[in-house]
Amino acid sequence: MTLAIILYTGAIGLLVIGLAGVVMSSHLFRMLLGLVIAEAGANLLLILAGYRWGGAAPIWQAGQFPTTMVDPVPQAMVLTAIVIGVGVQALAIALLIRHRHYSGTLQRTGGLNQLQADLDREAGVRHTRSSDAPTLNPLTEVEHVH
Amino acid sequence: MSTEWLPLVVALPLLVAFLLQPLAHWLGVRAERPSPVLYGLSLMTIAATLWITLQLGSDVIAQPLSVTMGGFNTPVGINLYLDGLAYLLLLATQLALLLLWPAGAAVRTHVLLLVLAASSMGLALSGDLFNLYVFYELLAVATFGLIAASPGRAAPLVSFRYLLLSGMGSVLALSGIALIYSHSGSLNLADLSMLAASGEGSLPIAAFLLILVGFGVKAELFAVNSWVPEVYSVTSSRFAALLAGVVSKLAVVMIVRILLLLFPQPEATDPLLLLGILGLVSGELAAWRSNDFRRMLAYSSIGQLGMIFIAFSLSLELGLFAGLALSFHHMVVKPGLFLLLQQPLSRWRVVLLILFALSLVGVPPLPGFWAKLALLTGLVEVGGWLNGVAAVTFLVATVVEAGYLFRIVQRYYQEERPIAGSTSSTVAAVESPWGWEGGVALMLGGVLLAVTLTINPVTEQLQQIALQSGDRERLISTITVSEVE
Amino acid sequence: MSREHRSMAWTPLLFSGGLAFMLFSLFMAVPFGEPLMRVGGMIQQTDGELGAANLVTAVVLGYRALDTLGELAILFAASTSVGLILTGVKQRTVSVECEELGELFEQASTLLLPLLIMVGFYIITHGHLTPGGGFQGGVIIAVALFLPTLAGRGAALLNHRLIQQVEGGAGALFILLGVAALLQGESFLQPWLPVGEIGALFSAGTLPLLYLAVGIKVGAELAALLTHLSTNVPSPEVPR
Repeated sequence: MTLAIILYTGAIGLLVIGLAGVVMSSHLFRMLLGLVIAEAGANLLLILAGYRWGGAAPIWQAGQFPTTMVDPVPQAMVLTAIVIGVGVQALAIALLIRHRHYSGTLQRTGGLNQLQADLDREAGVRHTRSSDAPTLNPLTEVEHVH
Repeated sequence: MSTEWLPLVVALPLLVAFLLQPLAHWLGVRAERPSPVLYGLSLMTIAATLWITLQLGSDVIAQPLSVTMGGFNTPVGINLYLDGLAYLLLLATQLALLLLWPAGAAVRTHVLLLVLAASSMGLALSGDLFNLYVFYELLAVATFGLIAASPGRAAPLVSFRYLLLSGMGSVLALSGIALIYSHSGSLNLADLSMLAASGEGSLPIAAFLLILVGFGVKAELFAVNSWVPEVYSVTSSRFAALLAGVVSKLAVVMIVRILLLLFPQPEATDPLLLLGILGLVSGELAAWRSNDFRRMLAYSSIGQLGMIFIAFSLSLELGLFAGLALSFHHMVVKPGLFLLLQQPLSRWRVVLLILFALSLVGVPPLPGFWAKLALLTGLVEVGGWLNGVAAVTFLVATVVEAGYLFRIVQRYYQEERPIAGSTSSTVAAVESPWGWEGGVALMLGGVLLAVTLTINPVTEQLQQIALQSGDRERLISTITVSEVE
Repeated sequence: MSREHRSMAWTPLLFSGGLAFMLFSLFMAVPFGEPLMRVGGMIQQTDGELGAANLVTAVVLGYRALDTLGELAILFAASTSVGLILTGVKQRTVSVECEELGELFEQASTLLLPLLIMVGFYIITHGHLTPGGGFQGGVIIAVALFLPTLAGRGAALLNHRLIQQVEGGAGALFILLGVAALLQGESFLQPWLPVGEIGALFSAGTLPLLYLAVGIKVGAELAALLTHLSTNVPSPEVPR
């Protein structure tokens, strides 16, 4: 029982620390690291779902499969989940490189303000919110603003 | 054609996607240059999947079919399940892709769109919980890439923020799947459905909530939808139409599948109803406040999906029918609006715009009215104070919706008068060419009118599909029959 | 960090604590160490019908092969997206610390390269017998291919065109092996070829071939990803 508590505390702790890290970091790269940590926690939870007391690895040994073995299915799922995580992380880093290239910063707040301004500019509305009627054509509306 | 060929609708686009870049090298196409040959090849691939779907799905409304992968029986292996709902979704996905495929895209965009196609079809078909998760992630990754590739400096950050939100959702969904697996030892939806019928307890409900929040990110569920306005304002109209029209519905239907099969209890549907109401209120109010057309449509999309969630939370045949009707209606109208937005509005385009707006608001002869009526009667019939709140919210939201949609039209007529001074190019004096986007919008308008004229047979068909997809015994028996073979 | 910021941090912390408590009480409600093994038990009882000594491989490439195809596609989509996103970013080869690395490092990387590739292929080809397989071996191969870049000798070994052809071909091989089963009148992705003697190198039908395709694809893709990311570092000066 204590082993279960320790293992689950580890897995859930990683998951929650990761999620909190994503929410609370002020730097975009650290937010990504938070996600990586949270994914590790979720993968551990999956692995724990298939653990069996005294179970051997599900591999043919000495002419037979072990009679008491851990569940092979969660292990296969974790393999899949890890690879998915790697793909997503690589993509996220590429996105950060591109964002850094555009804006010169990876700070969360700076990036957000700039994002809002960029989106507003692309949408063709003033940065300050007004309750004007909607603009019909974003491209031509930019000229009206000035 | 043998039913065993069904997996090809997933495998074929992936095969072509894998081979497209080597082929481009072989043909001497530069990676950034558009190529008509690759465009044609991609379209032919999607057309081939359309052909397979039509071949296999012709009598699927009478008898759904289940295809096991790799010849392994269901709880152990993965199965694809084609019923009326999946059939309609497949057709909608394929047609939307055929119509909205960007002709002048770079090679890698074609590749990502093919991956998007494969994952969408996989999502519509898969009958396995973890397999759904894999296809969901595949869809997500392809979407991130396509969003980030849109022009504009904001695109990478928007895509990154979407990725983080979606990643957090995936972590929660994955722990929900782990919970379900440790509770029942199985991942197959039909198998889990059988187990769920016998077992009780709060644990599966909690697992469902985790999965709901996780997969709700793509379905624009309330509180995890902050990506919606950002993404829809950086992407191209075609891609926004694709995302709002098809992709979000796929995620919704996936959640509904899980809900119907595994958790038909009120403990699971009440949170969905509540989140639906909140989504409806926040979406419509934000749309009312927003001052640019694109973001207005994005927020309105959140509101519409909230409405759809309210409908599905009724979990009766009536609610299911209303949800499907609203989904398919939104699938036609929202892409139409996004595509109209691309171009300067002229007189006939405004007529089309008014048609879409009227249907979205729910003015009687148009299909939107019947869908909304079905939802309202469903809410009243089921009763209960929460449903009452939902019904009132829904009526108020409709008024708000009418308000902001007609502000656009009003804007057009105000600007048309030369008094405004500026010779605004938003109103073209001469009808400018409609182009491909306009043509597709026109076609969607035509579909809307056609459905209006044939509302009775369409309703009957949809009701049959709703009945079928709500039928747990049918699904379980279909999959057990295929096990015996 | 200002005082205002610190007080705002309590809300996420509170939510995190709630989530942790909820997950903990949920998972503690499930008996630990006694999995039901509804599906796992069925797989155990088949007693190696696929001929794979490693049951995890049998699950990954046999019973849940569609997941594996999806996961390959995710890696592929990610690497394609990275290529799409980073084209046009100012190219700058990583040669900053090239001088400091020294002779020893360069020579060692040359020596390690074939060894690592061999180890990678060993792990891939024994994936159906021992722990390991296409993904693990593929990662080792990718590291081997990335080693010259790390050693500061540029990405001379990595021909992007060749890598794309290899990864495309390997992915196509995976699907075509599945389609071949379909053409024989069986299901998509059904293992075929004789199962052979369990535990032998040439056993388990098409599973080792599938793992070979996975391994080569993963190796090529990760190598391409790593070089893409390392040669597209944005310049340190701030453009705006």
